[in-house]
Amino acid sequence: MNVLVTGGSGSGKSAFAEKVIHALCPSEKLYLATMLCRDRESEIRIQRHRQMRAGRHFITLDCPKQLPSAPVPRGASVLLEDLPNLLANEMYEDGHPDNLLTDLRQLAGICSNLVIVTGEIFSDGIAYDSSTQEYIRRLAHLNCTLASFFDCTVEVLCGIPVPLRGTLPFPV
Amino acid sequence: MKLYIGGTAQGQLDIARTENPDAELFPDFHLLIRRLIENGKDVPASLQDFCLQHPDAVIVSDEIGCGIVPMDSIEREWRQTTGRALCMIAARSVQVTRVTCGIGQRIK
Repeated sequence: MNVLVTGGSGSGKSAFAEKVIHALCPSEKLYLATMLCRDRESEIRIQRHRQMRAGRHFITLDCPKQLPSAPVPRGASVLLEDLPNLLANEMYEDGHPDNLLTDLRQLAGICSNLVIVTGEIFSDGIAYDSSTQEYIRRLAHLNCTLASFFDCTVEVLCGIPVPLRGTLPFPV
Repeated sequence: MKLYIGGTAQGQLDIARTENPDAELFPDFHLLIRRLIENGKDVPASLQDFCLQHPDAVIVSDEIGCGIVPMDSIEREWRQTTGRALCMIAARSVQVTRVTCGIGQRIK
């Protein structure tokens, strides 16, 4: 099953996504971590997420860009966290943002279960520089396209899951 | 406890007042969180106290976490801490309503 989880900053989307993949696959599963550790703030963030995942049989693979380079075996259950980071790395760290959608489709084809955490970054009314506008447009396009073929898309608000499309086969 | 959230000026305050005419109401909760951060307070601990002191409060807040992550670290912290604070309030609330275009959508 493919599930797209979206939400704003601090909305509880990560905790929810972790529950979903754990419900889909209680045994061993992969966590594709996209965040580059560059400062104390990201270190604290990474640490916090590690603690949240502890005891749930996650194997962490670092994958800041180039999804196909991650050794994901066929039939795996995967939590990819998160798409806004992955896109930023592909765009601003010498990556290939044009390949991202194809790479994501391929990953979805390999996995038995794939949960992707994305973000709601589209509602602050600020006109950014052209590069940031391009980033927003690309992320919006990825979100819309993934939602169109994923089984289920959920927005998390204040820690409460609100289904946008499809339904999960279990209560989370 | 009840929570009403929405983007800026979406009508969450009006709906909260109409539905809870006699309640102790806390508008602009996101600004209260900002003041706590600016005064160097432990936000989760302050919120615990707040919830104990005001178990029947009606909280009204703007949703501020749905934009590009800001460059400024205080702005970043404010958005994230407000998001987490609202998760905490929502978990303790008997009712959570999201308001868009003046329309309330009960999500809990």
